Amino acid sequence: MQDLIAAQTINLIYAVTLLAVLSLGLAVIFGLLGVLNLAHGEFIMLGAYCAVVVRQNGWPFLTAIPLAILVCGSIGYVIEVLIMRRLYRRTFDTLVATWGLSLLLRKSAEAVFGLTYRSVETPLPGTIDVFGVPYPAYRLAVIGLGATAIFVLAIWYGNSRTGLRIRAMTGNPELAQSLGLSVKRLAAGTFVTGTCLAALSGVMIAPLVPVFPYMGLDYVLRTFFVIVVGGLGSVIGLVYGALAIGGLDSAVSAFSNGTYGYLSVIVLAIAFLWLRPRGIHVRG
Amino acid sequence: MRKPMVPTRRQFLGYSSSALVGLAAFPSSRAKADAAEFKVGMFLPQGGPASIFLAGGRACAELAVDEVNAGGGISGRKVRLVFADGGVAPAEAAKSAIRLILDERVEIITGSHDGGVREALVSAIKGKVPYVFSPVTENGNCSANTYYLGETAQQQNEIIFDALVKPRNLKSFYLVGNDYSWPRAVNENSKKFIAESGGKIVGEEYVPFGTPNRFEEIVTRIKSVNPDVILITLVGGDNVTFNRTFGAFGTDGRILRVGYLLEEQTLAGIGADGSRNLFSALGYFSTAPGGAGDQFKQAFSAKFGETSPQLFAQVGTIGVDSYAAVHFARALIAKAGSTKARDCMAASEGLSFTTATGPAVMMHRYVNRTMYLAECKGTTFSVVATKEGVRNESSCKT
Repeated sequence: MQDLIAAQTINLIYAVTLLAVLSLGLAVIFGLLGVLNLAHGEFIMLGAYCAVVVRQNGWPFLTAIPLAILVCGSIGYVIEVLIMRRLYRRTFDTLVATWGLSLLLRKSAEAVFGLTYRSVETPLPGTIDVFGVPYPAYRLAVIGLGATAIFVLAIWYGNSRTGLRIRAMTGNPELAQSLGLSVKRLAAGTFVTGTCLAALSGVMIAPLVPVFPYMGLDYVLRTFFVIVVGGLGSVIGLVYGALAIGGLDSAVSAFSNGTYGYLSVIVLAIAFLWLRPRGIHVRG
Repeated sequence: MRKPMVPTRRQFLGYSSSALVGLAAFPSSRAKADAAEFKVGMFLPQGGPASIFLAGGRACAELAVDEVNAGGGISGRKVRLVFADGGVAPAEAAKSAIRLILDERVEIITGSHDGGVREALVSAIKGKVPYVFSPVTENGNCSANTYYLGETAQQQNEIIFDALVKPRNLKSFYLVGNDYSWPRAVNENSKKFIAESGGKIVGEEYVPFGTPNRFEEIVTRIKSVNPDVILITLVGGDNVTFNRTFGAFGTDGRILRVGYLLEEQTLAGIGADGSRNLFSALGYFSTAPGGAGDQFKQAFSAKFGETSPQLFAQVGTIGVDSYAAVHFARALIAKAGSTKARDCMAASEGLSFTTATGPAVMMHRYVNRTMYLAECKGTTFSVVATKEGVRNESSCKT
């Protein structure tokens, strides 16, 4: 029984970290630019295909990271310049535009890779004992790397000059521009960062799930819940959101079953949208 | 202020009636021109996750059409396939079926899709033309002029219990599936077999269908219960994720797993990481030994040439069921001489028709067939047991 509780506790920590990492890109784009990016899941999918491609060519797994940054960063940049730049602060229009974009990216992946499931061999096979419980090594690495990435991003956003500029831009774009900040460049940089973060989380989950063009749909809803519940525009809000959604899902799934786990997540998200639409952590 | 773009009621009526007239004018002329053709309406999922079965199913159906046409077609008329999307909501599929019958004048409808769409199609078609549901199915529905070509749970369990559970003396069972009708119906059948074999069920759970599921919690729970075997009725992506998670947790050393819808593409997704001690029981595996399967493979590569290996990798039991569906249509109409429910249902009893694994026989509107049990070796199936002439348990009247 003790082993079971210990193992389910690690499962919960894993679920929360994974969800936080998957939501990072959306948090950056939605939270800072106000763009409700419905193509978030498709950038995760493209990242996962980068892992498929490097594995197919026999390259080391880690080479998927620069490839994903290159591919999704470039796509993100082109989209920002051609489409998003004209739509900031028009939330509904961004929703429609990114929805169209998600269709395009999904169909493009279908054209290039076909519809079949791909599997990526895990780069860290085997299990490691944690408190006497054997746990998959790769999942432990996900917990470690994910937590580190979120921590570093939080520190950077709170203390760096770029973080300060982004906060100035999202707080009051006109004032920031009149003070000589290049809002255009800053917004583009933020958008590209968001797409790259989504792609990197895609690389990370590639060895865990089936990779196929429709996989993005699996993530967009849940990551959206995280942002809604946690609150926009801060890393701490993201962490709260992931704790609430991922933690609740995992705890309920562990002690009853998956259907109730999913139901509890939906109920929580509806409750927040209804009663506290700005989420747990309200910025400023 | 800009004028709203909404048309007035009069304009709307004008537009829509002229559009309707236009629509109505076309099909009738087309139907006349094609009167010499025998059209088969075929529902395959064209969008959504289930569309991974599209390319394989389509290729198999086209191969069957070539073969049927080479042999003189259906009642001397050339066969043409008219595809419709089976990956849509049930109500939308029902509309397509009506359009196929009224506009396209199809004379038989076949489908490979989920049970919700199947029920909607049965109600829409109402037995006016024969409806052939081709993939793996739960048993029980006896609607008029409806025929089932897929493996039933009973047929799967017969080989699973005869060739795996009893010889290895497996006694404790854990059931995990998606939460919809097929998994629950399969498990009801499995429970009979478990009781007969003196086994016990130590866990049964279902996860939502059509949402992303993680399986860490479930695998941890299964591990703590330590059953002899897990009977898996998860489908598609969930089936992949569950088995990959199971492999990652290092639980695949002792506990055996059996998948009820585990075919070539799902196994490719699971990969070698997650496929140790994993079994599948179906009516077709591309690696099954025996002459008929090889003949099918040769015909397939002759038709598709260079693209054939890549395409063939997407053909599993669900794909070859579409091949069988076209041959079944030919045999059924040839014997019945019409598409009327009474003629066809009578003709279907004892009807023999071509499938990818040789001739099969229909009894009580389901198929008696050869079943295979395969063990996963990396990403390929190795057939470990074959059982010929496995009867279906249908009690549908003809």
